Amino acid sequence: MSYASDRAEIEDLMARYLFAMDYHDADAYAECFTEDGELDWAMGVAKGREAIRAEAQAFKAKTGELFKDSGGNPAKLRHAVNQKVIRIEGDRAWNTGFWWEMTNGGPDGSIALPSFGIYEDELARVDGRWLFTRRKICNEFLSGRESGPVNPVLAMDRQ
Amino acid sequence: MPKSIARAALAAAVLTMTGVPSMPADAKQPTYSKSYAEDRAEIEDLMARYLFAIDYFDWDSYVGTFAPDAELEFASGTSKGRDAIRAAITSFSKRIGEFYHTEDGKPATLRHVVLQSAIRVEGSHAWGRTLWVEMANHGPKDTMKMGTFGIYEDEFTKASGHWLIAKRRVLNEFIPNRQSGPGNPVNDMDALAEASKK
Repeated sequence: MSYASDRAEIEDLMARYLFAMDYHDADAYAECFTEDGELDWAMGVAKGREAIRAEAQAFKAKTGELFKDSGGNPAKLRHAVNQKVIRIEGDRAWNTGFWWEMTNGGPDGSIALPSFGIYEDELARVDGRWLFTRRKICNEFLSGRESGPVNPVLAMDRQ
Repeated sequence: MPKSIARAALAAAVLTMTGVPSMPADAKQPTYSKSYAEDRAEIEDLMARYLFAIDYFDWDSYVGTFAPDAELEFASGTSKGRDAIRAAITSFSKRIGEFYHTEDGKPATLRHVVLQSAIRVEGSHAWGRTLWVEMANHGPKDTMKMGTFGIYEDEFTKASGHWLIAKRRVLNEFIPNRQSGPGNPVNDMDALAEASKK
């Protein structure tokens, strides 16, 4: 497989991950991880696909509390991923990607931009399919969850 | 079928009974052919060309991104065929200038942005689910303002070596009755792709 093929498949995985997250599809979300995958995010560390599935099921209620539209209902939350540095070595891969999020929770139903951060990922190809073995979500707007100050790509390249 | 997928399908079936939107029973995990990267790259290029065409009012290029018998569904209705698509988008473009304007009343400079895409390719057919957002200079004192976001639900067809849009549904989370979801749009895409193989 060429770098381009692996990268295309990993980009597709990242898109599927975000659609699953934003549309509260906990099963599709959990399926983006390996059986023993790990999710390290603001609410803690979930180990294993079942723990991640449970986390994803709770995600809707948690973000619904956090983000409201101007009518007081849970806002529509959309995550976006932009540039990604992806390194591939055989059946393992590493990603450092920039993300940001938007909601319809601004004044009078306008767009609000709550935060941005980075993904620090490790991936593995299992039965021909790329999956996350570890995803760490850093958020520059949450104390203790910021990335840096050093270029995160350097740490990735060392691994 | 791997155990994990079988379990997901079972969990989805259980969720269905509780009324929560879920994965269609025949949806499977995606498979990627050897030419996936090339197809995906060309489809991404097509989607970029579509946006430059719309943002610069280049209607020849715009209709050129569609197959001759393609369908476009957006807030103004559904159009079939390039002539109908051209008529619909030209009239929409004039109206949007009345809503999105600078402080002196001129049509705003509007830019659409595509973010992540889940793309599924099966031979000469493909499907996409893509997040978009638009921004313009219609904020206070003509500053930049992000207006709305939504998704594209697309079907693509490859004819004479080129990918074209066969069907594009433009959904907008800020327009009543044009919102996506509540189910994961990628599941519909996978079900369509699987059905096409039968």
